[in-house]
Amino acid sequence: MHHTLETIPAVCPELGIEVAVAAIDLELRKLWEQDEARTNASLMNLVVFSEKSGALIENSSIIRELTREHACRAILVEIDHLAPPNLRAWITAHCHLAEGRKSICCEQISFYLTGRVTGRFRNTVFAHLNSDLPLVFWWQGELSDILTERLVSVMDRLIIDSSAWADPAAAFTRIEEASQANPELIIQDHAWTRSLQFRVGIANLFDDAAARKALPNIHNIEISHHPAHRNTALQMLAWLTIQAGWKNTDPSDPLVFTHSSGNSVKAVLHADPQSAPLSAVILRSHDATVQVTYQNGASYLQRQIESGPYKATSLSPSDPGTPAELVALQLARGGRNSLYQKILPRFRALLHCHTE
Amino acid sequence: MSNPFREDLVSRLPAEPCSIIIFGATGDLTHRKLIPALYNLAVDGELPTGVKIIGFARRKKSDLEFREGLEILNRKVSRSGHLEKIWTNFIESVTYHTSEFTDPAGFKSLAEKLDVIDAERGGKGNRLFYIASAPEFFDEILIQLKTANLNEAKPGCWARVIVEKPFGTDLASAKHLNQVVRETFHEKDTYRIDHYLGKETAQNLMVLRFANSIFEPLWNSKYISHIQITCAENLGMEGGRGGYYETAGALRDMVQNHLLQLLSLVAMEPPTDLSADGVRDEKVKVIRSLRQWDTPEKVSANVVRAQYIAGHIDGNPVPGYREEDRVSPESKTEAYVAVRLLIDTWRWSGVPFYIRMGKRLPKKSTEISVHFKDAPCVLFNALAGGVPGGNVLVIRIQPDEGISLRMVSKIPGTSLRLELVKMDFHYATSFGKGSPEAYERLLLDAIAGDATLFARRDEVEEAWRFIDHIEHAWHQSDEPPPMAEFVAGSWGPREADQLLHQDGNQWRRL
Repeated sequence: MHHTLETIPAVCPELGIEVAVAAIDLELRKLWEQDEARTNASLMNLVVFSEKSGALIENSSIIRELTREHACRAILVEIDHLAPPNLRAWITAHCHLAEGRKSICCEQISFYLTGRVTGRFRNTVFAHLNSDLPLVFWWQGELSDILTERLVSVMDRLIIDSSAWADPAAAFTRIEEASQANPELIIQDHAWTRSLQFRVGIANLFDDAAARKALPNIHNIEISHHPAHRNTALQMLAWLTIQAGWKNTDPSDPLVFTHSSGNSVKAVLHADPQSAPLSAVILRSHDATVQVTYQNGASYLQRQIESGPYKATSLSPSDPGTPAELVALQLARGGRNSLYQKILPRFRALLHCHTE
Repeated sequence: MSNPFREDLVSRLPAEPCSIIIFGATGDLTHRKLIPALYNLAVDGELPTGVKIIGFARRKKSDLEFREGLEILNRKVSRSGHLEKIWTNFIESVTYHTSEFTDPAGFKSLAEKLDVIDAERGGKGNRLFYIASAPEFFDEILIQLKTANLNEAKPGCWARVIVEKPFGTDLASAKHLNQVVRETFHEKDTYRIDHYLGKETAQNLMVLRFANSIFEPLWNSKYISHIQITCAENLGMEGGRGGYYETAGALRDMVQNHLLQLLSLVAMEPPTDLSADGVRDEKVKVIRSLRQWDTPEKVSANVVRAQYIAGHIDGNPVPGYREEDRVSPESKTEAYVAVRLLIDTWRWSGVPFYIRMGKRLPKKSTEISVHFKDAPCVLFNALAGGVPGGNVLVIRIQPDEGISLRMVSKIPGTSLRLELVKMDFHYATSFGKGSPEAYERLLLDAIAGDATLFARRDEVEEAWRFIDHIEHAWHQSDEPPPMAEFVAGSWGPREADQLLHQDGNQWRRL
């Protein structure tokens, strides 16, 4: 059942206890004073924003999992524009045993905002950030007018899922405009993270001299994906072609690329409703095939290179699937995500192409 | 041609497919550390596709028997558990080769086996030889590798060797071994492993010092009073370890390699870059700058050796060192050593470094503590109790890896009273994800050709030069410095305390 403003109780197992917004800091202090055996740990402020009904409860479960590896102050926000103006808040802590002895805990503040919220939302978030710690802002779902330049200016990382957007091209333009004042902003896209192990697999296979030898003669790229994850497939294609130095020189066919030698590479994308977000990335030359494949539901990817009589296969971890796993991986990798920035222009160009 | 898909994706050198040949494949190290490390790399998708592993040892075994033995241990010790499907795929790449280490025919057939693997790869193949046998076979294995021409890489490929510790037992034997290695492999292809350098906190030392602007300006004799490096173990000679320990002792077993490596990371100047030689150039300068304790008198004044007598660990009675299994009742081997070191550089002039390593100490702990000089306390001298102590930065290597900083704070209240407080960073608290085992990192580095975390020839020799003087004074001088005693379960002998008292310092209580 989805909770609404009226149905979330004052003491809710998932969200903790309801407190007055002005007393949040005081109530958090009381929470810690109750038990000296616990350690309050935090490496970042993690704001999780959603306009979906019932998101607070769902996201609290995600934070419980996430804090096992990523200590943070979590600020969950659910917004309902249609309800009468109001603001309710809950506090709780997620605690985990570290090394079987110490109880490591992370604070969570949950806000339920209703009515016209733009100004109140910013103030609510800003007032409860832990100073000096970075702000990671996880935006769930479609972008909205709440994503303003002023909000983006205080973010260190913005986590999005471009696969969830009806019009990715317009949404990227909106982010581009909102982040003008914050050129240091690091954007992390679930759609991109869903292909991480595929990319690592391709890179691993091309460490093999046999694959590198075949690279100048690659003439075909085949990518199989789920229809809902076309962005992941296009980002993979953008990455492959940018890294290999293949350029699109045929305006009439954005899926044909050219090597520096003049050889051409044809890309084919297959959408399959039975597929995982990505199920195959295959590069072929006349005498070699390099491929990373995934069977839906399996725990591992299969990497394979075949070149004449030589054939090598290995298994590797599959890409994360749940939102909690995706965010955990994004936080664990850190960095500036410069590769994503690098492929973004080509990916945005590919968004307009007709695939299947 | 480089791999364009690596660029910006993984911040390390590419790890190419290769054949890994482990000498001493039936030993504990292979079963408990090396194979689980390679398996865990496979679990994480880090092991290059197409890697082949060949275990080389004297005992007669089939591939199947060898694999079964590996599986039993992997199930027990693997960091990421034992995942059936990954293991099945991984173990298919593992085979066994029976041969004496001195038998040229065994190496010839190894070469043929490797040629078959290379032929599948189009005639090319990289080779990583891991010498994990007993040290007495190091020479012979290297000589046989050369005789079988296995040390020479094929065009466009590489051949590397990893040599386990102990790398020699003194300067002469280390030089001899270096000579044999140098006649067999290029220095750039030689990887002398010291697993301490693969530990997360040891790697974090450089980050702490050179990525934080607040520490480096204070990292010198103007602000630092002294530095302590402690490696405490509560274990004694369980599991027949006494036999090996009698031939090594605390100084050679731990100080010559692990603790001097930590010392060099703490004391080195900023390297010009993060290349293997950039870092190792600076590390070796530290070891070379150690003031030599080259007479028995200097050794007496600056080094304390000791053996434990019967006591208690964790509430249980334990025997003295000389009563331990496989230890001589008249043993002259030290189970504890404390060394006062001076580094004759501008940065460290007059700053003593104290290293202590001991068995049967109260608990297992390895750490580095940097003790800062007291602040000029003109303002607070008149207070009752004065100022309680100085700032101490502690870098915990194991267990409970982390960093803490001790500082003075006012006790809340209407009067002005001071107390020491601690800011504490625990890896496990802040980063819930576990670190890879040291061997995983080091094996992957060797496959990728990154020697930064491996000891170079001159580092090893300079360390032995320092250690040899002490060993000589203990075992070959007419009036050797005495062997002290301490009760098992205590923090070492009184003489070690006096070593610090002469400088006005004391050991940190762990």
